[in-house]
Amino acid sequence: MKRVLLVTLVLGAALTVALPGAFARTEATQATPGITSKSIKIGGTFPYSGPVSSYSPIPEGMKTYFRFVNARKGPDGKRGIYGRKIDFKTYDDAYNPGQTVQLTNKLVLEDKVFAVVGSLGTEQNLAIRPLLNQRKVPQVLVSTGASYWGTQYKQFPWTSGWQTDYIAEGRMYARWILANAARQKIAIFYQNDDYGKDYLNGIKQGLGSKTNLIVSELSYEVTDTSYASQIARQRATSADTWILVTTAGTPTVRALATAKRLGWKPDQIIINSVAATDGVMAAAVASVGQDYVNGAVSTGYLKNNTNPKYKNDPAIRSYRRIMSKYAPPGGVNIRNSFYYYGVAKAYDFVKLMYAAGKNPTRSSLMAATAKMNWVNPYALAGVKIKTSKADRFPIDQGKVVRYNNGSWSEISALYKGR
Amino acid sequence: MRRYLSVAVGPLLFVAAAAVVALLPRFMGEFRLLEFTLVAIYVIALLGLNILTGYSGQISLGHGAFVGVGAYVAALLSLGRPGLELYMLDPPSWIPIGNGMTPVFTIPIAALVTGVIGFLIGIPALRLGGVSLALATLALAVSFPILMKRFSEVTGGGGGLNLNLPETPFGWDISTRHWLYYEAWVTAGILFLAAWLLVRGRIGRAWRAIRDGEVAATSSGVNPALYKTFAFGVSSAYAGAAGALFAIETAYVNPDTFPVSLSILLLASAVIGGLGSLAGALFGALLYEFLPIYSQEPPIFSFHFADQAPSVVFGVFLIVIMLLLPGGVAGLLRTLAGAVRTGRFRRRSETSELA
Repeated sequence: MKRVLLVTLVLGAALTVALPGAFARTEATQATPGITSKSIKIGGTFPYSGPVSSYSPIPEGMKTYFRFVNARKGPDGKRGIYGRKIDFKTYDDAYNPGQTVQLTNKLVLEDKVFAVVGSLGTEQNLAIRPLLNQRKVPQVLVSTGASYWGTQYKQFPWTSGWQTDYIAEGRMYARWILANAARQKIAIFYQNDDYGKDYLNGIKQGLGSKTNLIVSELSYEVTDTSYASQIARQRATSADTWILVTTAGTPTVRALATAKRLGWKPDQIIINSVAATDGVMAAAVASVGQDYVNGAVSTGYLKNNTNPKYKNDPAIRSYRRIMSKYAPPGGVNIRNSFYYYGVAKAYDFVKLMYAAGKNPTRSSLMAATAKMNWVNPYALAGVKIKTSKADRFPIDQGKVVRYNNGSWSEISALYKGR
Repeated sequence: MRRYLSVAVGPLLFVAAAAVVALLPRFMGEFRLLEFTLVAIYVIALLGLNILTGYSGQISLGHGAFVGVGAYVAALLSLGRPGLELYMLDPPSWIPIGNGMTPVFTIPIAALVTGVIGFLIGIPALRLGGVSLALATLALAVSFPILMKRFSEVTGGGGGLNLNLPETPFGWDISTRHWLYYEAWVTAGILFLAAWLLVRGRIGRAWRAIRDGEVAATSSGVNPALYKTFAFGVSSAYAGAAGALFAIETAYVNPDTFPVSLSILLLASAVIGGLGSLAGALFGALLYEFLPIYSQEPPIFSFHFADQAPSVVFGVFLIVIMLLLPGGVAGLLRTLAGAVRTGRFRRRSETSELA
């Protein structure tokens, strides 16, 4: 009996150790994965579930725009892009970077996508950046405003960003405060992570020699369930300008509700653009009332699709037309600005693919990301989508906007954050 | 003869499984390899959880945290101080991080460190049992990501740490994907054997005795405190090894990679696979890996599930299994094997020997 055991154990061990070498194979590589004469297969990961599933309209907006592109006749007279239809494959990573890695591997190795487009989340994109760069798979138009994407293009040439980065946005707030506010005592309440600190740095850089205007900077952790002590301390400084660097959803609403409960209404509340989405503002209104949030300030680089001013704007009309015709069946709320964000981003991907040429390769796509130069009709008038060899921030302009009764209107000139 | 056969059936199955594992890469592309590498990692974590919950009868809702500890240990050791400098991180000098090491060597160290931490946590856990223990360990799972963010000078905070991308060490001539696959499975194989030796011997008997009746066990001369904390330590060491492999494979650690749901899903998978059966870890791991992915795009039905589908499908599956198979997949197989042997169908309790 003991002998049987011994033999099997030794055999098992020998098998597991000896066999690896015998069967290792190398994979054959395809010329340009994901590209055929009729299709372009791309992919991305998004939080369809989990704590920030409110972002899930973004990939659906992108898909809707791609359906439109696949159906319309393009400038070359063919449907799709040079006759190729876009197939956008998305997976739910539940905002867990571990899953992002696994699902991105699935996109690259199994689905054999041409590029990873618009994947959402700063940590999520940081997690997949090395492996995509190692495999030379484009990681483009990432859905995060961290500044890495624009600053680290030398180390990671296969990665490129899209939206205004947080530092640039912070500078815009500073510039606006310096130009406009009469009384200037700034309190900053920020999320204690890279995201929050990027904003903080941007604001300080923008204030330049006037950083002494900041009378209080306090932070919170994402997991905190109460901000009462921080906000009470900020209230005690009698600051007149309160900058909320929170994330969309609960933190923003909770901060506003806490301030209101403490009876604090600074002259100016500034909410960064990530937090200032329509859904969050609606929740904030429900929690603290319209009056409290009216007058709040943010920044924008896209047209606000719910602003009455844009009712007859050609871009907004095209957005409504595309959404009503190509959106997935089953109640899409086209007022949700995340669909709009997705459409705007998809527009730029289509432009990039045209720029990548009739026979696109992964390198020609990346080359195109380094010389973007066009106007995106869904962006604010005057905002240029522009990159160059040394400037890898596609969008770095924006305007300060003010909230009033459910929509945002532009109240500043066009600022350049970079 | 018959006696020999029934004794040899376990080892024979193990060898057969080892052969399948060794040969599988012949038939798989890179992505399948990756998936099965993760299966091995989950096998290890579930083996550990099974030792704790299935054998010693202590429920842990915090195993994801131990996996996380292992992952961070492996990440820090393999990056070393020079690697951390790239992140502008400067951990206090009393932490022995070293100057970077070949990732495979971090696995035993991660297991050891996590094992010691688990052992220490097992001591207060002694005073708790059942639901209270489950809650205490849940607190562990909840606080782990927060702690990792809090000590960002060591862990890189929310931004996490990118490990060096995996590569085949020692100049061996096999592809990195294959290396990772065999690295994970050989570790899983070794740890499976270790677990098997543990649970079939005196220690395993003591664990089962405690699980089935602590008073009775004590009166037969078993020291429950010792054996329970030992189970905690061993189980955490397994989780640590799994975490280290996970970090090496994923090449990224971040607090949100180890959310509370990881702990809960691990326990659920252990239950589905079959508690009190080491083979159950394999079934649990297969389900853990494949169910969420394929519920996102089911291979058979070609309709799109609702947004929350992966977790919903997992939940429904868990309920169905618990209703139909209280002993999990391993329990079902045991029942079937018993039916074949005796020619009669008889439901056995979930708590029996190694399948």
